[in-house]
Amino acid sequence: MDRVASYKEDLRLVRKWPEKLLAGILFLALCLLPQFGSDYAIYIVTLISTYAIGVLGQNLLIGFSGQVSFGQAGFLGIGAFTLAHLTRAGVVFPLALLAAGAMAALFGLLVGFPALRLKGPYLAVATLGFGIAVYQVLANWDTLSGGRMGLAIPPLAWNGLSKRLLMYYLNVGLAVLFTLATYNLVSSYVGRAFIAIRDSDIAAEVMGINLTRYKLLAFAVSSFYTGVQGGLLAQLLGHLEPQMFTLAETITLIVGVVVGGLARVEGSLFGAAFVILVPQVFASSRELVPVVYGAAILLVIIFEPHGFAGRWMKFRLYFSHWPFR
Amino acid sequence: MSLLTVSNIETLYFDRIYALRGVSIEVREGTIFTVLGPNGAGKTTLLKTIAGLIKDQPKKGTIEFDGRRIERWSAERVAALGIVYVPEDRGLFRELTVAENLELGLWGRRDNSIARDLEAVFRMFPVLRERSRQQAESLSGGEQQMLSIGRAMLRRPRLLMLDEPSHGLTPQIATMVYDALATISMTGSTILLVEQNARLALRVAHEGIILEAGRVVLQGTAQEIGQNDDVRDLYLGVGEPGTSATGWRLYRKRRRW
Amino acid sequence: MEWLLQYLLAGLSAGSTYALVALGLVLVYQSSRVLNFAHGDVAAFATFIAYTALSARLPFGVAFGLAVMFSAALATTFYLGILIPAQRRDATHLGQVIMTLGLGLILQGGAAFFWGTEPQPFRSPLSDTRIVKIGPVAMTELGLGTLGTALCCSLLLYGFVQRTRVGRAMRATSENLIAAQTLGIPTRQLVALSWAVGAALGAVAGAFLAPALFLDPYFMIDPFLKGFAAAILGGLNSLPGAIVGGLILGIAESLSGAYIAIQFKNTLAFVIIILVLLVRPEGLLGHEFKERV
Repeated sequence: MDRVASYKEDLRLVRKWPEKLLAGILFLALCLLPQFGSDYAIYIVTLISTYAIGVLGQNLLIGFSGQVSFGQAGFLGIGAFTLAHLTRAGVVFPLALLAAGAMAALFGLLVGFPALRLKGPYLAVATLGFGIAVYQVLANWDTLSGGRMGLAIPPLAWNGLSKRLLMYYLNVGLAVLFTLATYNLVSSYVGRAFIAIRDSDIAAEVMGINLTRYKLLAFAVSSFYTGVQGGLLAQLLGHLEPQMFTLAETITLIVGVVVGGLARVEGSLFGAAFVILVPQVFASSRELVPVVYGAAILLVIIFEPHGFAGRWMKFRLYFSHWPFR
Repeated sequence: MSLLTVSNIETLYFDRIYALRGVSIEVREGTIFTVLGPNGAGKTTLLKTIAGLIKDQPKKGTIEFDGRRIERWSAERVAALGIVYVPEDRGLFRELTVAENLELGLWGRRDNSIARDLEAVFRMFPVLRERSRQQAESLSGGEQQMLSIGRAMLRRPRLLMLDEPSHGLTPQIATMVYDALATISMTGSTILLVEQNARLALRVAHEGIILEAGRVVLQGTAQEIGQNDDVRDLYLGVGEPGTSATGWRLYRKRRRW
Repeated sequence: MEWLLQYLLAGLSAGSTYALVALGLVLVYQSSRVLNFAHGDVAAFATFIAYTALSARLPFGVAFGLAVMFSAALATTFYLGILIPAQRRDATHLGQVIMTLGLGLILQGGAAFFWGTEPQPFRSPLSDTRIVKIGPVAMTELGLGTLGTALCCSLLLYGFVQRTRVGRAMRATSENLIAAQTLGIPTRQLVALSWAVGAALGAVAGAFLAPALFLDPYFMIDPFLKGFAAAILGGLNSLPGAIVGGLILGIAESLSGAYIAIQFKNTLAFVIIILVLLVRPEGLLGHEFKERV
C-alpha cells in the first residue's frame, strides 16, 4: 500500500516529486500532441480518453462499491442515442451530453433498485438482462435507432477548429475532469462509504451508512460516467448502430478495469489505454484480441491483483527512497 | 512418550498480527491435555495451526507428531495422519442426514471393524440412532455436539482436538459430553481439549496449560493448575471471597507469571 | 389447445438445453462458489473439437466422446492449474470469477483463430427437420433427442450426487469445506471432479445445440446466458432448481414468443427473471450460503 503520513497528505493528489514530474510530462505531452502528433495518434488518444471515462465509471461500481454490472453496454447505448436524438433535434452539444449522462444515470437508478436485494451472481444476471433488453429495444425500434441505416450525428463545429482537434480537446479535457472528480469522490465520505459497502455491507449498515442511498448512488454515478462516454463516442464516431452496444462492449470495460487495477483511479487510465491499444496492435489478426484480453486478465489476477496501477505503486515505493535500500 | 510436541510456534494473521508468540506444549500419548484461557488468548488459533487450517502458518517453530514434522502441512495431510479437529461450530454438514455425516467420518477407512465402531458410537450416544434419518440441521445443540464427536470417533483418531465442546450446552449435556470424552480417552485416543469452562476441563484432563495473549503463562498437571491460587480465583471462582471481583488490574499486579 | 401443447413441448425442448447448461454452472458454483463465465466458451470449443473429429470422418459417437472428454480435461486443468494458484495468492472472490471470464475470452478468440468465424453446419445423426408425431403434437427428432438426453443427464447426476458416497462427499465439501478437509476428504480432487462433470454437461448441451444453431465461436453465448439465467431463476445452488429454472425459462420463452412478440423473446425471459428475483432474491429453490460478518 501507499505510505500516507496524514489525512491531509492522503487528500493530496500528487504527493512526491517523481509523480509531479510524471504528471507534468503527461500534461505537456497531451498539450503538444495536436501540434506534432499524427492524425492517427490524435485519434487514438481521443478514443482512449473517451474510454477512460467509461472505465472509471465501471471501476467505481466494481472496484469501489463491489457491485457487478454486466449491463454497461446498455448505459452506453442509452447515452449514445440520447445524445444523437438531442443533437439532431438541435440541442446544443454540452446540454445534450449532460442529458446523455443524466438519462443513463436515471436508468442506473432503475437498475440499482434490484441491486438493493441482489448480490454477486444474482445481481450480474439482473444487470445482464438490462443490457440485453436495451440492445433488443434498440435493434427492434427503428424510429429510436434509425433502423438498418443507423443514425447519423451532426458534426460539431466551434471557432473554426478542425473536427479532429475539437474532439481531441473535448475528450481529453473531459477525461481529465472526470479523473479529478473521481479522485475527489473516492476520498470523500461517499467514496469511503462505497468501500465500506464493498467490504461488508452488513458491517457498513450497522455503522450507519445508508445502504439504499449509497448503492443507488453508486449505480447512478457509474452509469452517468458510462452515459457520458456513450455520448462522446457517438459524437466521435458520427454514426450509431444498435450492434455497437452488445455484451462485448461491457466486457471491454471490465477488462479495462481489471487490467488497470480494481479500485485504482489512475489504473483506469492505463486500462482504457490497454483496451484501445491492443486491438490496434493486433489489427491484422482481430480474432486474437480476446485471447490477449483473457490472458491479460489471468496474468493480472494471479500475479498483480492491483493491475498496472499496483505495479506502478511498487515501482514508486521502490524509488521513493532510492538508492538507500 | 509424547505424541505431539509443539515447540515455540508463532502464528501471525495477515503477516502482522501475532496470535501465538512462541507457544510450546507436549501432549503425551493416551492423555487428555487441556488448553485454558480467556477469549482471544489464541486457543483456537493453536488448534487451527496444528490442524493446518491457517495458510503458511506457523511462521516459526516446529510441530512434531509421532516423530514427524508436520508444521505448515495442508489440512488434508494432517487429517490423514489421524489428527481430527472438531471446530467450535461443530463442523457438521447441516444439510446432510445424521447417517450421512457419520458415513463421511468413515471416509478412507477400509478395515472390517467399521460396523463395530458405528455400534460403539450409537451405544455412547443412543439419540443418534433414533435420529439417523434426520438432517443434522434439525438436531439440538447437544445432539449436534454428540454427532460431531461421534463422527470424529469413527476416524479412530490418534489425536482428537476439540474446540470448546461445552460451548452453548446445558450443564447436564456438557457433563454427558465430557463423560464421553473420558470414555474415548480410555479407548486409546489422545485428546487435546480447548476450553473456557476450566472446571469441566480440569476434571477430565491430566495436564494442561493456561494461554494468555498468545503466551503460555502456566503449565502443569491438572491438579497443579487447579490448585494455583490465581486459577482458583479467576478461572474457577473458588478463591478468597472478593478477590476475583476486584478484577484484572489487581490480578495483573498479583500474578506470579 | 393443440397449439398450446405444441408450444409447451417446444418450450420444454429448448428449456432442457438451458437446464443442461444451468446444471453445469450450478455444479461448479456449489463446489467452488465460482460462477463460471467460461462455461459456454468451453462448450463451444469442445463442440469445435467434435466438428473437427467429424470432418476427419470419425463416427459421431467418437466425436461426441472426444468433445466431452476434452471439455472435462480443460475445466479440470483450469481449476487445478490456474484457479488454485490464484487462490494461493489470495485472489479475491470477484477476481476468481473474472478469471473465468478471461478463460472464456481466450477460448473464444482461440476458436475464432483456428476455425474462423463463419458459421459451419454441424452434422448430427438426429435431424432437425424430420418430424416425430406424438399424439396430437409434433416434434423434430433433434428436439426429442435433446429432451431425452437432458432428462437422462439430470437423472444420472441426481443419482450420483444423492446416492453415491463420492456424491455425498461432494455435497459435504460444498457445504463446509473446512470440516470436509479435517475429515480427510480429498476436497480439491472433488472440486476438480465437479468442474469436470460440469464442463462435460456443457459439452453435451453444445453437441445438441450446434446442429440447430450452426457452429461459430459465439454460438454458445446465447445458450450460456439463458442457462445462467435459468440457474439464477432456480437458485444458483440448487441442482433441482437448475432443471426447474431451465424448463420454466424455455416454456416462458416459447409462450411469450407465440402470444406476445417474437422479437422480444429474449428480453421477456430476463424481465421474468428480474421480477422473480425481486420477490425471491435467491431464486425459486435456492438458499444461499450463510454470510458471516
